[in-house]
Formats: sequence, C-alpha cells, structure tokens
Amino acid sequence: MSGNAETFPVPRRRDGAARLGARIARDPLVAILSAAILGIALCLVLVRPSPYLVNAAGQLAAFAILAVSLDLVWGYLGILSLGHGLFFAVGGYVCAMHLVAHAYAVTGIPPDFVQFMGWKTLPWYWAGLTNAPYALVLALGLAVLVAFVFGLASFRSRVNGVYFSIISQALVYVAMLLMFRNDTGLGGNNGMTGFSLLFGWPMGSPGVTLGLAVASLAALAAVLVGASLLVGSRTGRLMLACRDDETRLRTLGYGTTRLKLGIWCLSAAIAALAGILYVPQVGIINPRVLAPDLSIEIAVWVAIGGIGRLGGAVLGAVLVNALKFWLTAAMPEAWPFILSGLVLLVVLALPNGLLDLAALRLKPTWLRGGTR
Amino acid sequence: MAEAPGRLIRLHAALLGLALAALAPGTAGAAPERPPVDRPALAAALCGPPAVQGQAAEALIRAAADAETADLAWAGNILRVLTERRLACTDTGAVILDRPGAAEGADAATGASRPAAGGRVPVLGLRQRAQVETALGVVALLSARDPEARGAGLAAIERRAAGVPEAVLARAETAEADPGLKRAIMQVMQAAALSSPDPARRIGAIRAVAEAPSGAALSRLRALEADPAYGADPAFRAALDSGISRVGRAIAVGDGLAVLYNALSFASILFMAAAGLAIIFGLMGVINLAQGEFIMIGAYATYGVQELFRRLAPGAIDLYLIAAIPVAFLAAALVGIAVEALILRHLYRRPLMSLLATWAVSLFLVNGVRVALGTQNLQFRMPPYVSGGLPLYADFIVTWNRLFAIGFAAGTLALTLLILRATPLGLDIRAVTQNRDMAGCLGIRTRRVDRLAFGFGSGLAGLAGVALCPIYSVNPGMGATFIVDSFMVVVLGGVGTVLGTLVAAIGIGGANVAIEPLYGAVAAKVIVLVGIILFIQRRPEGLFPARRRR
Amino acid sequence: MSGGLAIDALSVVFGRFRALDDLSLAVDAGEVRAVIGPNGAGKTTLLDVISGITRPKSGRVMLGDLDLTQCAEAEIAKAGVRRKFQKPSVFPMLSVRENLEIGCGADLPAAARPARVTALLGDVGLSARADVTAGRLSHGEKQWLEIGMVLASEPRVILLDEPVAGLSDAETARTAALIQALRRPDRAILVIEHDMAFVEAVADRVTVLHDGRTLYEGGMAGARADARVIEVFLGR
Repeated sequence: MSGNAETFPVPRRRDGAARLGARIARDPLVAILSAAILGIALCLVLVRPSPYLVNAAGQLAAFAILAVSLDLVWGYLGILSLGHGLFFAVGGYVCAMHLVAHAYAVTGIPPDFVQFMGWKTLPWYWAGLTNAPYALVLALGLAVLVAFVFGLASFRSRVNGVYFSIISQALVYVAMLLMFRNDTGLGGNNGMTGFSLLFGWPMGSPGVTLGLAVASLAALAAVLVGASLLVGSRTGRLMLACRDDETRLRTLGYGTTRLKLGIWCLSAAIAALAGILYVPQVGIINPRVLAPDLSIEIAVWVAIGGIGRLGGAVLGAVLVNALKFWLTAAMPEAWPFILSGLVLLVVLALPNGLLDLAALRLKPTWLRGGTR
Repeated sequence: MAEAPGRLIRLHAALLGLALAALAPGTAGAAPERPPVDRPALAAALCGPPAVQGQAAEALIRAAADAETADLAWAGNILRVLTERRLACTDTGAVILDRPGAAEGADAATGASRPAAGGRVPVLGLRQRAQVETALGVVALLSARDPEARGAGLAAIERRAAGVPEAVLARAETAEADPGLKRAIMQVMQAAALSSPDPARRIGAIRAVAEAPSGAALSRLRALEADPAYGADPAFRAALDSGISRVGRAIAVGDGLAVLYNALSFASILFMAAAGLAIIFGLMGVINLAQGEFIMIGAYATYGVQELFRRLAPGAIDLYLIAAIPVAFLAAALVGIAVEALILRHLYRRPLMSLLATWAVSLFLVNGVRVALGTQNLQFRMPPYVSGGLPLYADFIVTWNRLFAIGFAAGTLALTLLILRATPLGLDIRAVTQNRDMAGCLGIRTRRVDRLAFGFGSGLAGLAGVALCPIYSVNPGMGATFIVDSFMVVVLGGVGTVLGTLVAAIGIGGANVAIEPLYGAVAAKVIVLVGIILFIQRRPEGLFPARRRR
Repeated sequence: MSGGLAIDALSVVFGRFRALDDLSLAVDAGEVRAVIGPNGAGKTTLLDVISGITRPKSGRVMLGDLDLTQCAEAEIAKAGVRRKFQKPSVFPMLSVRENLEIGCGADLPAAARPARVTALLGDVGLSARADVTAGRLSHGEKQWLEIGMVLASEPRVILLDEPVAGLSDAETARTAALIQALRRPDRAILVIEHDMAFVEAVADRVTVLHDGRTLYEGGMAGARADARVIEVFLGR
C-alpha cells in the first residue's frame, strides 16, 4: 500500500457541457420525460386546448413536482416522510396569502375570513405579502425552516426508518388541527378561496390558466433535470450510500446528519414550490391538504411509479392523479377501492413500481437496477 | 248566607285542630303517635272563601310532618279534586265528583255516596292555587309510592321551599329509598335553611352545604354574599367565607380527580389501541396503519352482537357488551391474520412498503364498511353497568362507562402479560422479537409466530373497539381518531414492550387530558408532539429500548 | 507510541449484562494485534466503542490526545480510525470504483481521488472489477473491497472484524498477505478473528478476551500454552 500516497497525473476532464449531457443521459428516462414535458408545454401554447385540459395538465405537473421531492428523500436517502403535505401546504398557504393580499390591495374588499372573524384588518404576519418575490422567498424559506428544525431534531438523534415516518405523520396531523382553528388568521376551517387576481390579471382567464400550466410544466422539467443532476453527482452517490448503510458511511468519516438535513430541506423547498404552483390552479387551499391521508398518497404515487427513479415518481404522480380526476367524477364510490388495489398490486407484485411492468415488456437495460 | 256564622265556627275549629296537630311535639320512639287530621273540618275549609282555602293548605303543609300516611293520601286526593274542579260544596258538606258537573258523588269525609245537586264548585285563585300545589307536593313527597311522583312533588315544593317546615323535608328524607331523590331532598332542605329568617339556622345550613361540596353548592353560597346579613352579621360572614373557601378547595380536588380519571380512561383506550401495534412493530418492524380499522371492526362486531341479542334473546340484551368481548377479539384477529397471510407475509424485509400496504388495507376497510353499512353513527343500547355513575367527591363522578374502559384495559394488560410471559406462544414471540434468525435456528416457526402475533395484536385492537362503544361514537372513520396518538405511544414507549406501552399511554393520555382544559385540544396535541420530539432527542429508541446487534 | 491506541478501564453495560468489564489494552503503532476469545467475550463491542457506535458506561479510548469516546463516528473516522465490519459492509448499489472513492473520505481533494482509487484497485486485486456494482461481487471480493475502502484514507488505526470469515483457504492466504502489507511503523492494526492459523500468521501479539476482561496478553505461542486460555476455548 505504498503507492497510493503518491499523486498521479489527473486524468483528462471532459468539458462542462459534455459532462452535463452525459450525466443526464445516465438516466434516459429523465431525459425523455423532460423533453416530453417541455413538448407538452409547447403544445399547450400552440394548440390551445380547452382550459379544463390545460388546467389539468398544470395540476398534474404540480403533483409530479411534489412526487419528485418525496422521491429525492425516500428513494435516494431512504427517508420516508409521511408529512410532505406539510411543506406543500406551506407553499400553498403562502401563495394563497399573496393572492388574497394582492386582491385586497387592488379591490379594497377584505377577505371573507377577516369579515367572518370580525377583524378590522389582516393580522401582522400578512405584512408585505402583496409583494410576490417576498411571498416566494417566505414560502420557500418557511418550508425550509420547518424542515430544518424538524429534520435537525430527528436526524441528530438518529430517528429513522418507520419511526421517522410516523413522527412526520404526527407533525402534519398536528399542523392540520392547528389550521382548522379559525383564529390562525389563515381562513381556518374554510381555508382561503375566491382568488380574483394574479399579478393584476383576472384569475381564471384562459391566458392566466395557460400561463400557470406552462409555468408548472417548465418548473417540473427544471426540477426533474436538477434532481437528476444531483443524484448523478458525488452527493448523489453519498445519498445512496447513506440509504443503504448509514453507519458504514459514518465510520468512513462522513457526517451523515448534514447530508440528510441538506437534502431534506431541499426536498421541502421543492414540495413548497409544488404547493405554490398548485394553489392558484385549483383556486382554493384549506386544512384538508394537511390530512395525513394525503401525505401518504404522495408516497403511494412514488411507490406506484417506482421508488428511487425520478422518472418513476413523475409517471406515478401523473398516472394516479389522472386516474383520480377521471374516476372521482365517473364513479366516486369505486375510487378508494381501486387506489388500495393498485397499492397492494404494486407493493406485492411490482417492487419497483410500474416501471417493472415496462421492464417486463421491453427489457431495456436502463430500466433495470431500480431499488427496493 | 244564613248559615255563614255556623260554618265559620266549624272552620275555625278545623283550623285549630290542624294547628294543634302541627304543634304537637313529635314523640320519640319507634312508632310516633300521629294525630289524626280532622277530615270534615279540612273539607269544609276547602269549601270556604279563598283566604280560608289558602290557610287550610298552609295548615296542612305545617301538619304534614306528623300526619298519618292514610290522612295524607286522603288530603292529597281532596286537594287534587279541588284543583280539578270536582269538589262540590253543598250545605251538608263537600262532595267529591267523578267528573266535573256530575249529579252525585262521594262524601269527602266519609266516602258515602251522596247527591251533589245545588253544590257550589269553588274555583281556586292564583295565590291559593300555588298554596294548594305546594300542599299537594308535600303530600306527594311524603305519601306517593312511585319515586317519579315523589320527585315531581319535590319539584313543586322546591319553588316555595321557605314555606315548608324543615320537619316535612326531614321526614321525607328519612323515609326516602331512592338515593338520587334523597340527595335532592337534602339539597332542597339546605336551600330552604339558607334563606331561613333564623340566623343560627342559616349558619348551620351553610356548614351543612359546605359538608357536601359541589359546583351547585358553591354557586348557592356565592349567592349569599349579596345577602344583607353578609354585611351586617360578622358571624354569618365568617361562616359564609369559610364555607366558600372550603367548598372551593373541595371542588378543586374533585376536578383534579376528574381530570385524573378522564386521563386514565383515555390512556386505557390508547393502551389497548397501541399494545397490539407495539407487539406487531417489535416483532416484525411493521407499523400497522390499519390498526384503527381493527378497532372499528371490534366496535362493529359489538354492534352485530347487540343486534343478534335483540333478535334472539331480547331478555338478556344487557349482556351483549360482555358477550361481544370474545366476538370482537376474534373478528379483528381473523381479519388481521388474513391481512398477514395475504399481504404482509411478503413484505417483512421492506418495512416502509408494509406501511403503505397497511394503509391500503385501512382505505379498503373504511370504504368497504362505508359502502356496506353506511356512514352514520351506530346506536348502542347502554346496559346499566355502563350508564350513570357514582358521585364520589365534590363534582367528581365515577362514570361507569369510563370505569368499564379502565377495567377492560387492566384486563387486557393482564391477559397480554399472561400470554407473553406464560404461554408457549408468548415465549416464541419474545424470542423472535429479540433475535429472529437465532429463533429460527432453534426450530421456532417464525412465520407462524408472526401470523399468530399479528392476529393477537389485531385482536387487542378489536377489544379496544368494545371498550370504545359506550364512550365514543362508532362509524367507519372512527379509527383515524386514535391512530396518530397510538403511534406516538409506540414511539414514546419503545417497541415490543408492554410495560413501555403502558407507561407511554398513561403519559400521553394524561398530558392530553391535563393540557386540554387549560389551552385547548389543539394545543394539547402540539405540546405532546413537541414533548415527544424533545424526548427522543435523549432516548431515540423510546422509554424501554430493545437491544440490537450489528 | 504516538500513533497507538490506548484503551483505559473501559466498561460497557447492556441492561444487566456487562459486555466489557474494566478492560484496558494498548495497541502500539507498527503493531498488528489480534483479539481473540469465545463468542460473547466482547470483541465486537470493543470495536463498536472504538469506532463510536456504542457509548461506554465508563473508561476512555485515547488516540494520541484525543478521547474517542467523546467523539461522533465521523470525527473518529476523520481522526484516522477505520473499521471493517464483520458482515462485509459495502454500498451494494454503487460500483467498486465509487465505493473506493467514498472510502477516500470527504477531505481528500477531488483531483487526487482517481489516482488513489486506481492504486487501491490494484492493492486489493479488483482492478478488473472496477465498474461492477458492488452488490454483485462474491463474498471474498466484498471483504477485499471493504478493506480497500478502509485503506483509502491512509488510516492510523485499522480495525478488522473477522476479515477471513467465510473465505476459502486460498482467499484467506491472500488476505493474510494483504494485511502483512498494511503494516507500517505509524499504523496500529487491531484484528478480531477466530481462525487461529490466520492469527498466528498476521499478529505480533494476541489479547484473549473472556467475559469482557483480558485473560491473556502476549505471543501466540504463549496463548496456546496458557491453561486458562485452553480452558476457556476448550472447556466449554
């Protein structure tokens, strides 16, 4: 072992752009999907289908972003959060606050809940929310802050596995109880709705709907490519190492708490971004987004699509939610049974999600090697 | 009006008789001699002018404490007849008619049949009606056979308690068999004494009220602070102040006991919900998100047993809750075993996937029950052993339904410990929990142990369902109410230890119930969650950690 | 002595069970020390304490001036202590090369990594398998890969927990040669092993543990002759 202390000449480095392309190409599914997403966005702009379809595409994109955020921590770090709805809701609520404050400033009509509570004006923490950049920073910052505090407390004391899952579930549950109260100044039980303006444009007009959908699709493509670069990097390899054997990684001199905390906070920020994009498209936010069941559903999307494959998370979210859009209208009684059947099928028969199904048919090597 | 003087003379004689009866000292001894009521005189007085009617009623009230029961019943009857306008006053005396306006009736005093032609039917004035009703109340309280009638009598008296002699209430209280009514009579007595004109009696009453503290007693005493005597009479003031502070202290203690009691009953439910969860988690590393639905299955099985009793054995229906215990256990256990055999068996090395699988099961069960049986709350018949309660101290009432849950949890704890510590299955469960591979090498069929343990853990949830029925509402979504709290119990208690689960359930149940009245239910949940997160900073494996080897 | 590891009055308690009982032990720099003992003697617990996985009830583990019992695992690793686990612990989803890269530690500049990894691949004999996913390696290859990961950061102290368990005779001989090659004046090596022939081949001195205490310390020949050691190993 005498040779390894000497320095060898550094091997040639490929130039930046080529490296980037090579990295994305490591996961062709991501490359294909990102291209397809951008293609769909372009189609929406050129073809101008019905606003309902445009809106649906935008909402699906927001859900897909949420799924990617969870896959990042679950698939690549082994941390299953059953409370990701919290970060989604933070983004959604702050976005709704911005829309409400903006409409109030323009129209002068106080929001419903302010009148309902008999207040004269909005509470102090609404200050400055008419400013969109501030609202964006607040939404992401708040999600990261909550994630940081909770993550620090959990990772430092080595809470992981199923323990972490159920504590994160309790977190979102408590947040839901809190938001159900009317005195929070955030709409309480009814939440916030009736957003009339977005950057001064009337909400619900075809242009705004299209803009939101295209923004969501573009954000999804960016998040997908960004996340794929991350997991293909050295940090990504450390994430996999941490997921598979955290103690081993620690005893090799890596502070895994910092690694986990960093990715956890990033994931929270991405989930908040999904919430920001989601709320103006559905036009309402209320405490039910904090229901523990919804947070579990996010995990279900990822599991159905395929854990530890960013493309799988996107496909799972889109597939399940498209099915949900269709079935809750067509046969609402049947939907829960179909969902639970789908989960059991995937969990029992297709451990890598529906990507397994594709692999069975096509057997391309790049779809192999998914995890757990 | 020629005969008016004669009637008046007789009237006065009657009143005198009644008054004498009232004044006669109550003779000590086993069978006090009761002076007879002068029935003809009373009947005559009731036929007199309004003032005389009123005096007669008052006289009857005063005399009632010492009157014979037969006399009271007679007086009660004639007073009722008077209020119902069936008393005809003829020159020869009062006649009781069967119905208003009848031609003949029974003589009021003798009961002999007599014509009532030409008789005047007196109408009670407003003031006299009140007096007569009080008298009727007194009579009912003292002589009615039916406790409900006695209760109604007491209610009639309560409004004018000051006018009723203490002796009447004392006699009623001594004779009363129904404990609730006895307590109510006592309270009326105290209330009457509190507003008595005699200062000594009032002070005595304050002491007596303070002896039996309750929220009602406190407000009764507080009302006296506005009494003129409070400012004028130092003795009265001192007695009242000490009475109020004494009652206040007692109420605080009673409320404390009530919180403890509620905490214990909530903890019992949590323990039952979480014990199975902890055993399953310790054994297989599976968090069963469908545990709440197993509770629901237990409750629905209980309902099924109730309906079965209603059809087949309506006479023994009150026993359904007992009969439901094994049924609920088996129902939940069988569903649990089916879930294990069909699904979880394949997922033991993938705990996070088993989490999702059990969520799917819970979704399926909730919606299955919803579609099959509807979303409404189930109606349960409350057998006597789970309804009502025993007032123990101040406002603290030991309610039977909660006691049922506590006793039930204690029984479950004993059963669980027995099974884990003293049966072959228990030994196997403990062995597999501690070292699955080694246990497998020693010939323990770990898969079979898993299945039975899962069934046992699910059965425990079913038992929780039985205990819940008398306390909480039962519907398809009920499981969600307890599930997050039960998870926290498992996190706090550590896995695979019944003792840890018990301590954690008491801790979380207690904290929730104790904080709730102070800051509200939401704050209680927030504080408990923050407390748990802080706790696991120091003990990430819970209160009673299991040792593992790498 | 400066590079050595000094274990001072170490006690570890699990419930009522004393896994280590007031154990003291010094491993000098330049030495290969074997720790042997029956199952349950506390050998793996000792490594757990040194590498920071288990906290002792009392006692210290000194590496120079640093008390390792006060440090987190990552800090201990950065101080130059590396451990090979009993069960080969490699990252199954990563390639052999990526495993070794991670083994280099966070402090080695990225530019220096490829060279060191290439050298390591040669040292542990896995050059031909560099781009294979570690999960697909044979048991013996995993053992060597893990040793390679342990070596990648030039550690001052190497802890090897049963490095030849489950290996063939040829593989065992190869591992013995590898460990002999690791010997350096500034490096202390602690090996736990059951294979006595292997211990005799690599170790300068042996420490026999029994019930969390030191039963014997000295040369292997002395251990074979020691009556108590014989009783502990053969008498039960």
